[in-house]
Amino acid sequence: MLQAYVPLVLLFALAGAFALFSVAAAPYIGPRRYNKAKLDAYECGIEPSPQPIVGGGRMPVAYYLTAMLFILFDIEMVFLYPFAVSANALGMFGLVEIALFVATVGFAYAYVWRRGGLDWN
Amino acid sequence: MTGAELVFVPLGAVALGSSVLVVTTDQLVRAALWLVVALGALAGCFLLLAAELVAWVQVLIYVGAVVVLLLFGIMLTRAPIGRSVDLDSGNRVAALVVALGTAGTLVTVVVGGFRTASIDLGDGSAGSAGTVGAGLFRYWVLPFELLSVLLLAALVGAIVLSRRDIGPRARDGGED
Amino acid sequence: MSGFFSQAQQLQAPDVAYQAVLPMLLVLGAACVSVLFEAFLPRERRWGWQVALTVVTLAGAAISLIVYGNDAPKAGVKTFSDVLTIDRPTLFLWGTLLLLAFGAVLLIADRSVEPGGAFVAQAAIRPGTLQDRVQAAKVGMQTEVFPLTLFALGGMMVFCAANDLLTMFVALEVLSLPLYLMAGLARRRRLLSQEAAVKYFLLGAFASAFFLYGIALLYGYAGSVKLADIATAAAGTNRSDTLLFAGMGLLVVGLLFKASVGPFHTWTPDVYQGSPTPVTAFMAACTKVAAFGGILRVLMGAFASTNWEWRGVLWGVAIASMAIGAVLGLTQTDVKRMIAYSSVAHAGFLLVGSIALTSKGVSGTLFYLLAYGLTTVATFGIVSLVRDADGEASHLSQWAGLAKRSPIVAGVFTFLLLALAGIPLTSGFVGKFVVFSAALQSGMAPLVVVALVFSAVAAFFYLRVIVLMYFSEPAADGPTVTVPGAFTTMAITIGALATLVLGVFPSFALDWAGAGGFTF
Repeated sequence: MLQAYVPLVLLFALAGAFALFSVAAAPYIGPRRYNKAKLDAYECGIEPSPQPIVGGGRMPVAYYLTAMLFILFDIEMVFLYPFAVSANALGMFGLVEIALFVATVGFAYAYVWRRGGLDWN
Repeated sequence: MTGAELVFVPLGAVALGSSVLVVTTDQLVRAALWLVVALGALAGCFLLLAAELVAWVQVLIYVGAVVVLLLFGIMLTRAPIGRSVDLDSGNRVAALVVALGTAGTLVTVVVGGFRTASIDLGDGSAGSAGTVGAGLFRYWVLPFELLSVLLLAALVGAIVLSRRDIGPRARDGGED
Repeated sequence: MSGFFSQAQQLQAPDVAYQAVLPMLLVLGAACVSVLFEAFLPRERRWGWQVALTVVTLAGAAISLIVYGNDAPKAGVKTFSDVLTIDRPTLFLWGTLLLLAFGAVLLIADRSVEPGGAFVAQAAIRPGTLQDRVQAAKVGMQTEVFPLTLFALGGMMVFCAANDLLTMFVALEVLSLPLYLMAGLARRRRLLSQEAAVKYFLLGAFASAFFLYGIALLYGYAGSVKLADIATAAAGTNRSDTLLFAGMGLLVVGLLFKASVGPFHTWTPDVYQGSPTPVTAFMAACTKVAAFGGILRVLMGAFASTNWEWRGVLWGVAIASMAIGAVLGLTQTDVKRMIAYSSVAHAGFLLVGSIALTSKGVSGTLFYLLAYGLTTVATFGIVSLVRDADGEASHLSQWAGLAKRSPIVAGVFTFLLLALAGIPLTSGFVGKFVVFSAALQSGMAPLVVVALVFSAVAAFFYLRVIVLMYFSEPAADGPTVTVPGAFTTMAITIGALATLVLGVFPSFALDWAGAGGFTF
């Protein structure tokens, strides 16, 4: 089984080597001309500011909800893998089981939606 | 030593070393990134122990979701990212003693319990998605369905604690 | 292709004895429907629908339980690929849970004692803010308590029927999580309530971790999480006992925490005090039943053959629990905290019955759970009635002279306290009697003597309250006794009547409790 992962390990090694090479080589072979735009954080979200943006270092609680939703559907999805692999062998009963599971999690989704949990104010 | 064992030892060392760095670094973002390394190395260990599905669950849920959420949390709350001097608490020594004590006890129990016992991993399919799926949907039907109920209850709790009741219909401008 | 088809034939659907598990399915299904109610009903109509759904569900589950119980096979039924065992103790525990949950739901649904109910209208509003003061005046409550109650109840039902540790763990989480949330939803003293919720959550998560690690070690020992397999492995001698006893220790710590057995009780006083009183009633009665149901099944099913190794430790735990409950209970000045310590002492008595490991011990413990739960629900019903301008007047000094203000309430409360103390003609006496006689027969005479001593010590602090209510002058600005509405009256009546009936004519309930043993 583990033989299947050898290409993956090779890919990781290649990617790591390329990253190391790029970082190590850049100072020697790259030109250095700095300007304002270049020194900014590149496509990294919000501009760093000296003060915390919201609520004195607290997370807005709506974020907690988003995080929960994310985790919830992540877990649901994880269970779909073992189902998908043995779906044929499981037949009708497996389908009913997974449908029940998805439906129950779907109730959670309906509830969040109706309560405005998906709006970001 | 087989090839798997040869890979397992350095992976374990990476997991251990990076978890030490998680708690000792004084930069929050780096701590989160070291956590990625620690959890990733752990996923590698799972993989070598023939727990294929668990390894990928580890990658998907922990590396993919939990750490990303942590990073977002840091991003939303601490704008000047850099060294934070207030991360160390005065209880460091006590925490260290407790951590070492717990680790010592667990290692003693596991080593004392298993000694030279070894498990044949066979062709390594014991933890594959297919085997786990067959077990999950054939034998563990009830716990599996209960899990969905647990997730539902958790989300209801999240809404109750975090969301004021402004249904799409009952929205009145002044409240939120 | 032939390989594929042969695999397809291997995976048969597990057979489910739907009739046997119908009560559990009803409760869990109704919990999901209840969430949909929350999602799609307008706010002002939710309370009515939720109360109706919850009551109908509990009644339906109870009826299906009775119908099945009448001609259930005596040996029990294993179902869902053997992860659940529906045997006689399961049926008794389920019946107890449904009855106690009914009482607690009546208290939860009540809106007459506190206008709008004991629960906060919107938990997401921060305590102490302007909006919080606005919502304090509004009627209306967070009706999510109803689905959460049903979730917790469903988890408890699975927990005490689970035949393997994995199912037990999932059920433990299903029953715990809603309780953590419900503890934080009080309408008054919200910070205290939220503190209770956080404490319960953190310590509960810790206990779950212990439980889980215990499962891992036991799996390492036996190669299976099924109770019967662990018992088989423990009967053989060629394996290392380190794993067995380390695993069992961690597992039992997790269970004892849920049952609030001392010295794992530290959360109990804070959580009982901070939670909304109806939730405290639910928690005190139902969680205890589920936890001891689980303890009985685990001890009998997996560890009975090695009992001479661990019984001494649990002797110590039982004595510690009785001592902590009885002695610290004496020093309390808050009624809810006092009852919390009383529950720790009772947990010690229950543990005495649980480690007897005989059929008498099982039936005695089951009866004790029923009796204690009913008395507790009624007790917390009474506690919710004594109020002043700030909500419940739970400080003991405020209860001084209560008999002069309201003889009926003081009388019923006295009766319930006597039952908790274990005075004859109450269910508490019968419960203690059957548990202690089972322990005696099992050769635990010294433990029974210690238990009797602590019963006497504990009786002292119940009597202290009674004396306070009858022989002290009421303070001028003391609390008033609210006249309860139908729901709370009903809950208190059920609890008090059952305490009397089980005390005078206990034989029918003792017969049910002793109708059959565990099946593994």
